[in-house]
Amino acid sequence: MKKYTITVNGTAYEVEVEEMGGAAAAAPKAAPKAAPAPAAAPAPKAAPAPAPAPAAKPVAAGSATVSAPMPGKVLEVKCKAGDAVKAGDVLLILEAMKMQNEIMAPADGTVSDVRVSAGQTVSTGDVMIVM
Amino acid sequence: MSTQEKIEKMLKKSEVILAAGGEKRVAKQHEAGKMTARERIAALLDEGSFVELDRFVRHRCTNFGQEKKELPGEGVTTGYGTIDGRLVYVFAQDFTVEGGSLGEMHAAKIVKVQRLALKMGAPLVGLNDSGGARIQEAIDALAGYGKIFFENTIASGVVPQISAIMGPSAGGAVYSPALTDFIYMVKNTSKMFITGPAVVKSVTGEDVTQEQLGGAMTHNSTSGVAHFAAENDEDCLQQIRYLLSFLPSNNMETAPIVETGDDPMRVEESLNTLLPDNSNQAYDMYDVIKAIVDNGEYYESQKYWAQNIITCFARMDGQTVGIIANQPKVMAGCLDINASDKGARFIRFCDAFNIPLLNLVDVPGFLPGCNQEYGGIIRHGAKLLYAYSEATVPKITMVTRKAYGGSYLAMCSQDLGADQVIAWPTAEIAVMGPAGAANIIFRNDPDVKAKTAEYIDNFATPYQAAMRGMVDMVIEPKNSRPTIINALQMLESKRETRPAKRHGNIPL
Repeated sequence: MKKYTITVNGTAYEVEVEEMGGAAAAAPKAAPKAAPAPAAAPAPKAAPAPAPAPAAKPVAAGSATVSAPMPGKVLEVKCKAGDAVKAGDVLLILEAMKMQNEIMAPADGTVSDVRVSAGQTVSTGDVMIVM
Repeated sequence: MSTQEKIEKMLKKSEVILAAGGEKRVAKQHEAGKMTARERIAALLDEGSFVELDRFVRHRCTNFGQEKKELPGEGVTTGYGTIDGRLVYVFAQDFTVEGGSLGEMHAAKIVKVQRLALKMGAPLVGLNDSGGARIQEAIDALAGYGKIFFENTIASGVVPQISAIMGPSAGGAVYSPALTDFIYMVKNTSKMFITGPAVVKSVTGEDVTQEQLGGAMTHNSTSGVAHFAAENDEDCLQQIRYLLSFLPSNNMETAPIVETGDDPMRVEESLNTLLPDNSNQAYDMYDVIKAIVDNGEYYESQKYWAQNIITCFARMDGQTVGIIANQPKVMAGCLDINASDKGARFIRFCDAFNIPLLNLVDVPGFLPGCNQEYGGIIRHGAKLLYAYSEATVPKITMVTRKAYGGSYLAMCSQDLGADQVIAWPTAEIAVMGPAGAANIIFRNDPDVKAKTAEYIDNFATPYQAAMRGMVDMVIEPKNSRPTIINALQMLESKRETRPAKRHGNIPL
């Protein structure tokens, strides 16, 4: 996966570009972070991408992502990048709806990126952990 | 022609039809891991009970040289038989004959068993394995689908209708199953979609495989279209038999009573210690279900979708109950759009078929957020309120812990007609989360912390509700099973009517 920072009308967008492989899973769209105007977002086209990526939807494919099922606050992160985890292992505790929700690994694998830290608030769909 | 010759002629004609699409295509069906239509029916019904109807029906299409084509059995086998000794109607599409495609007479065979099932008050099981409309028959095929949809709708709520998707089901073909009560999908071999990957690609540019778009797990976990997933054909058919064991044959009957051998007075000590002391910690609602139902046995509908609410059939003292339970372990057990849809549909099925409802409540509220509001949580949440209020079967509500605000009403409070409301001492029946409520009431109070603690002690309990008679009884958790069974027996003679009307207008 390649990361680009693209500036459109003075606003910086962080864009991830990946060539879609045959086994690309239908993962959630990697929303351009902090993009106020989604209309201005077909940025990947402007990217000097070496691969002729099908621009429409950058897919954070291949790997599994664990995203927030509902808005809440991360209470505790119980894993770190590099950890090998099994399906059902608790990755973090998300306090939401007056409950300490155990967020579990969807499948066996290795944690490749932890994108949240304790105390952080997240909203529905935010990617918290990449496996 | 002598009588003997006439008999032989009949047998010969039959032989051709029984051979279905011929050896080659049957072998191909088997290679794909699928049974043939007749094998499926044999596996579904009690041994030797199948009686075939319309074996000699033939299409009458003359377009494009179709008149020269022999399509054994018109690509569908129909008839009746028994499951656990009870009458059931069945049709099974035969993929080996012209891809199981649906033409005018194919549809007519299905419509006939639909009508018979309705007339006799017996469940209808449809085994779908069809490439879609037989295009050569043009709008005659289309009209065939229309007739099937109509009969599905008329029979809805009169006899249980069960669909199994055991191969492709695309385009118009998906809507007959969608109109029935339960959809089974066989992993790997079944696919359901309005338009296939090729059309999707051309219209939206999305690259997606058949399995991703409409496979068994897609519809069981993502879309909520299917209710059950099966490992293979045999598993699917056995599961259908199992489901029917919980159900009455029609809306005038009650479900069969089964001798389960479990003591109705069984006290379950484990329930007294199941809940964590901290009410912000989750526990597994399945542990409650397993502890209270006969032999811990239950059969769950939509197990993989909207897992924050559990919908399942089980027995209590041999009597079928439909359980709707919040699952604190998933999304805190809150109600969202999907959970509301799932719960409401299950409630309405149970009410239509005289199955008492048992509601296990631990609900913190409706899920907040733009996603939910834009998706119409108001409209969807209202379905739960509607379904519970409308239901006239016995309704028993047991509050294990949280029961806050509108979501408590939506889980069938006494006001929505619960016949008996039981609370555990851990219940927190309140207008909203107690900490939040105290924050509002005492927001200008310098002593807010102490007052909040006091408020929680007083209001996060079952007693505010019990004092007003909104809760009929507060019990030790271990006594849940005998208490519920007693209530079910008390409610056996329940009779409640609603004003005569054409039909209500459930928010859809």
